[in-house]
Amino acid sequence: MLPAICASYAIPARPEPARLLNDYAGIFTPRERMAIERMLVEFDDSTSNQIAVVTVNDLEGYSASAYATQIGIEWGIGTGEEDNGIVLLIKPKTGSSNGDVAISVGYGLEGAIPDVYCNRIIDRIIIPYFASGDYFSGTVAGCSKLMDLASGEISVHREDKSEFSLFGLLGLFIMFSILFFIILGRGNGDDKGGNNGGHGGPADDILKGIIIGSMLGGGRDRNGWGGHSGGYGGGDFGGFGGFGGGDFGGGGASGRW
Amino acid sequence: MKKGLIVLIAVAAVVLGLFFWVKNSYNSLVYGQEQVSAAWAQVENVYQRRADLIPNLVATVKGYAEHESETLESVIAARSAATRITVDPEKLSSAEIEEYQAAQGELGAALGRLLMITENYPDLKANQNFADLQAQLEGTENRIATERMKYNDAARAYNTAVRSFPKNIIASIFNFETKGYFSAKEGADTAPVVEF
Repeated sequence: MLPAICASYAIPARPEPARLLNDYAGIFTPRERMAIERMLVEFDDSTSNQIAVVTVNDLEGYSASAYATQIGIEWGIGTGEEDNGIVLLIKPKTGSSNGDVAISVGYGLEGAIPDVYCNRIIDRIIIPYFASGDYFSGTVAGCSKLMDLASGEISVHREDKSEFSLFGLLGLFIMFSILFFIILGRGNGDDKGGNNGGHGGPADDILKGIIIGSMLGGGRDRNGWGGHSGGYGGGDFGGFGGFGGGDFGGGGASGRW
Repeated sequence: MKKGLIVLIAVAAVVLGLFFWVKNSYNSLVYGQEQVSAAWAQVENVYQRRADLIPNLVATVKGYAEHESETLESVIAARSAATRITVDPEKLSSAEIEEYQAAQGELGAALGRLLMITENYPDLKANQNFADLQAQLEGTENRIATERMKYNDAARAYNTAVRSFPKNIIASIFNFETKGYFSAKEGADTAPVVEF
């Protein structure tokens, strides 16, 4: 038997649609899940570093470290250019088996988060919470420490989403002002002509039409954005653009309790 | 005359087709070979990383466990034996890789014994420097497993190309040889258990 060959079949398949939190062991409540996913997606958005949290009930005979590394490689966590992915793997403690936790760090973050740091995060931050049964606090505390370390090394804001708001708003504002002054000017001219009320109507209608039209336009933009992110309306956590093909070399640490 | 021209064009087309087939096959084999060499370099890197940790580890353990000089010496001996073995990255033959793996496996086993005896020294276990070394050693063992797996994947892809028809014709003409694999042997080669 070659574990090297089998390893790739033992791990769960890459989630579709991609998610950063994959709670296969079911240790988080829906509210906790939402909070963790949001935290991880925001970090991905602001720095491009991807932290995936995976919980499983069985390590299929592999060490926690090897399992976490396999997930990182198979799913391609992190970007392909930076290899800046991190996997936090949790196997909860059950009646008959002990709990395992592992952090695996992508090639690009090995400098920022050496094995010794991973080991300390696990021993001093994560396990004390986990040992008392508080998986949520341990996960959040561990992730925020990893975020501090990772963002010191790589911090590239993902630009595709923020661009719309700035330029779009500026353009909209300029367009509005121009139209507003044109209509205002025409309205004044009509007033001088001595026509009250009757001619004011069409000008108002045009203005309203423009406002409503631009609102509809804005609405369409927002829908497009939501579709790209996996759907806000579905009650699921949106905003995650997917894994980027990052690679892992096996750096990191593991611990048990 | 006209017939001769047609034959000439046909022959030229066949020669051209043959040329591009040989060129593409050859280049893809070269690419595969480069991938294997790069993966091998990574394997040597991570084994070297482990070897580099050992002097510090031995020195730390020595400070707490003087009576264990035999175990410490066996680690040092295994380390120098393992670092002596070099593999020709151009060839990467099965025999060479087997020998390399055996020597590294000896070192892994010696390290496992060393870590086992540290169990008896609570002061050593409480030492922060030792805890850090242990974490680095664990990370390095996982790196070794990862890079070996990647090497095997690269070698498998390349060997498949070398052996399969019709690329095997080009491979044999230009002397592309298959590469050896790492095997997961029970016992000697298992990573030292770093658990307490």
